[in-house]
Amino acid sequence: MKSAKPETPATKRRWRMSRRKFLIGLGATGGALAIGVAVGLPYGRLKLAEMIDSGGGGFFSMPNDPWAWFEVGQDGRFTLYISKVEMGQGVHTAIKQVAVDELGLSWDALTVRQGTTSKGPQDSSGTSGSTSVSSSFTPVREAAATLIQMLRQEAAVQTGQPAASLQLQDDGFAADDSAVITFADIIANKAGEWEVPEEPAPLKPIGSLKLVGQPQPRVDIPDKVTGKAVYGFDAKLPGMKFGAVLRPPTLEARLKKVNTAAASAMPGVAAIIEEDDFVGVVADSRPQAWAARDALEAEWREGKLWQQAELEEIVTVGGRGGVVVQKVGDVDEAFAETAVTADYRTPFAVQSPLEAQAALADVTASGARVWASTQVHTSLQGQVADAIGLEAETVEIIPTYLGGGFGRKLGDVAIEAARLSQGAGVPVHVGWTRREELTAGFLQPLSHHRMTGVVDGSGRITALEHQIASGDILFSFFPDAMAAVFGADIGVTRGAHLIYNAPNRRVTVWRRKLPVKTGSWRGLGLLPNIFAIESFMDELAHSVRMDPLQFRLNNLGDDERSRRYTAVLQAAAEAAKWGTTPTGRALGLAGIMDGNTAVASIADVSVDENGKIRVHKITSAMDCGLVINPDGAKAQMEGNAMWGVSAALKEEATVQDGRIALNNFETYPLLTMKEAPKVEAILVDSGQMEPYGVGEPPIAPIAAAIGNAVFALTGKRLRQMPFTPERVLAAEAAS
Amino acid sequence: MELKINGKTVTVNAKPEDILLWTLRDDLEMTGTKFGCGVGICGSCTVHVDGEATRACITPLASVQGKEIRTIEGLAEGESKLHPVQEAFIQEQVPQCGWCMSGQIMTAVSFLDANPNPNEEEIVAAMGNNYCRCGCYTRIYDAVASVAGQGETT
Repeated sequence: MKSAKPETPATKRRWRMSRRKFLIGLGATGGALAIGVAVGLPYGRLKLAEMIDSGGGGFFSMPNDPWAWFEVGQDGRFTLYISKVEMGQGVHTAIKQVAVDELGLSWDALTVRQGTTSKGPQDSSGTSGSTSVSSSFTPVREAAATLIQMLRQEAAVQTGQPAASLQLQDDGFAADDSAVITFADIIANKAGEWEVPEEPAPLKPIGSLKLVGQPQPRVDIPDKVTGKAVYGFDAKLPGMKFGAVLRPPTLEARLKKVNTAAASAMPGVAAIIEEDDFVGVVADSRPQAWAARDALEAEWREGKLWQQAELEEIVTVGGRGGVVVQKVGDVDEAFAETAVTADYRTPFAVQSPLEAQAALADVTASGARVWASTQVHTSLQGQVADAIGLEAETVEIIPTYLGGGFGRKLGDVAIEAARLSQGAGVPVHVGWTRREELTAGFLQPLSHHRMTGVVDGSGRITALEHQIASGDILFSFFPDAMAAVFGADIGVTRGAHLIYNAPNRRVTVWRRKLPVKTGSWRGLGLLPNIFAIESFMDELAHSVRMDPLQFRLNNLGDDERSRRYTAVLQAAAEAAKWGTTPTGRALGLAGIMDGNTAVASIADVSVDENGKIRVHKITSAMDCGLVINPDGAKAQMEGNAMWGVSAALKEEATVQDGRIALNNFETYPLLTMKEAPKVEAILVDSGQMEPYGVGEPPIAPIAAAIGNAVFALTGKRLRQMPFTPERVLAAEAAS
Repeated sequence: MELKINGKTVTVNAKPEDILLWTLRDDLEMTGTKFGCGVGICGSCTVHVDGEATRACITPLASVQGKEIRTIEGLAEGESKLHPVQEAFIQEQVPQCGWCMSGQIMTAVSFLDANPNPNEEEIVAAMGNNYCRCGCYTRIYDAVASVAGQGETT
């Protein structure tokens, strides 16, 4: 479609997740690193960690160029391209609300489309970290305001009317004489190139925005109840075939050789591609591709056959190499007094989006187009190009709807599809089986936490320490040199910091290399860290016979973050009738300050004689700053509650004989409606003027809240997730 | 082979042992029916066979020949008039990622057709075998409950 967008915009930028560009993108954080170089690496790492924890990392910036975000067609209609992918978090709706408000048009005058690597704003951060709305909020407003200003000025030129006298309406501007110059006319009659002003146009006051803060029906829902929505697994091209890739049988397996004769003879097999360790089949149908892959006769060097207990031992705090990421006062001195200490462990867990990894690639000699269910199309462009030996700009990655992301949709499957398409010379779709999804991806790593604290006679914490050992989360995707600068994995440390204002505090992290592929999972370290910290806060409260809510309030400062955190604790407590005890049930409380988002959750639980925990209700209160779509924010709180309950009660992958001991959902069952709690979601407004993260923070408190409730009910302290009936029965009641 | 899908007879180049899910998705390009696990646990692939909720991922074509197959694409009347259960899922703003939703809706329609006035326990029992990884369970329940009691759904 011909449009107002210049054919070759002067500001065309391409982004790849190279270390250099990542560091450039660090912004303020990069400054802290520079300080660190000057004053010593440990100090620099500490400052870096503090900055990231406070939500001030400013990792990536989005462009505010109107032509990066918007297109005004020849017909005068507006299209908004959104780089963030829609995986159910409602991001397309929320960003549309912001854009429509700033444009001043009606809801239906703006069409939303998914951006690709060649359409829409390019940003290198992907759709991750609960940053989509917060990082898009100001850039899309600036782009919208500037676009309207440019159109208004051009309308003034074309009509000879003063710009300020032109009234904006959905199809154009009305002049004083009530004649309308349409957007279509403005675009068609524009002489020369559009010039984007250096300074963005002034923004409307937040208080004057009409859609921001209103529940808005999601733009993606109608197509999701009729089966029309197209996901990566649904992508189609004429002449496409289906691919499947050989998987190693053990964690350390190395391919010795493969005999493809049997697979080649299977029905429908069109090609078998072998490149070093990569072996894949291409067939006419998906079942044929899967069957032929299973018929590949491979010989492997198995490597060490690891057992779960060995990995647990590796992931244990202590020894050399700990990196301090928070330090206030001197805990060692304080621990000379009687300290309380407790250890907590969290398991390997699998993201398990219900749509397994999926991509369709069409590779030709001159370029490639890839439709992928991915959260990171921008960085994937370079990875696909590298894998098939093309220049990045000849590769277009087109994100589809995602049937769940949760940190797992990093697009590795797109590389597989591209290699098979290149080898077979036809478009190839690769869709993983559930078994692949559970065993061939990357997992939430094991973590071990040792909490130590001292509480004085007035119920104030005088010293608090959090020691963490964990497998990699984001370091799995970082170059080694960059990991060396950071010291501690910023995924592992998410949620690790201690917000309670003990005069002596320390958080230390040990990086543990595991033979298991590990990586991002919803909320990264949030759930493991808050499980440890907030369970321990409960233990400390009980150690001095204080109410757990009062104990937390007792140990919070009066800075703004602490005040906002206090407010959500109180809001959740009020809604859940904290202090009352329903018969046979009990309440447990936990909270989080993640960046600038505060959440508190209260679990209402019972435990049967077999040790099975039933979570009857989760009450969550959240202050996520300026709320764009309250119904969407509540949906995220509901979903996070379910995720948290599922993780706390059920989800665990173990390693046996060198393999991830999973097969299909019978070995990794997810929460169902039969076990689902009721959820009360409360949004707390503290008058913030910008939006903060929503998609992950509400998961953080859930496991600790459940564990704390079980303690209140039974006197049993649960220190290892998940809280299976066996662990509940085995836990010893406190004396 | 001939199959009756959404009121039409279609001819597919397939074998009796082929699995209904892949015939729908890849031969007939009806991708509204989703693949989740392939072993009948998660319910993403639920379709109706003679009105009964059926897991297409473990259903060979031989077992559905001559029977009425209905998929999410055949639920609405024409382009504009959605099924009441679809309307309820929009009204309650149920889906997040949406991958499980065809299966949830097909399960709910079949259940409500057989039991138009269910109580809470019956709804949970009927919907309790369909996974939703995004955790939309409270809204799925509310949507099904909002249709229940309004009489026959079709």
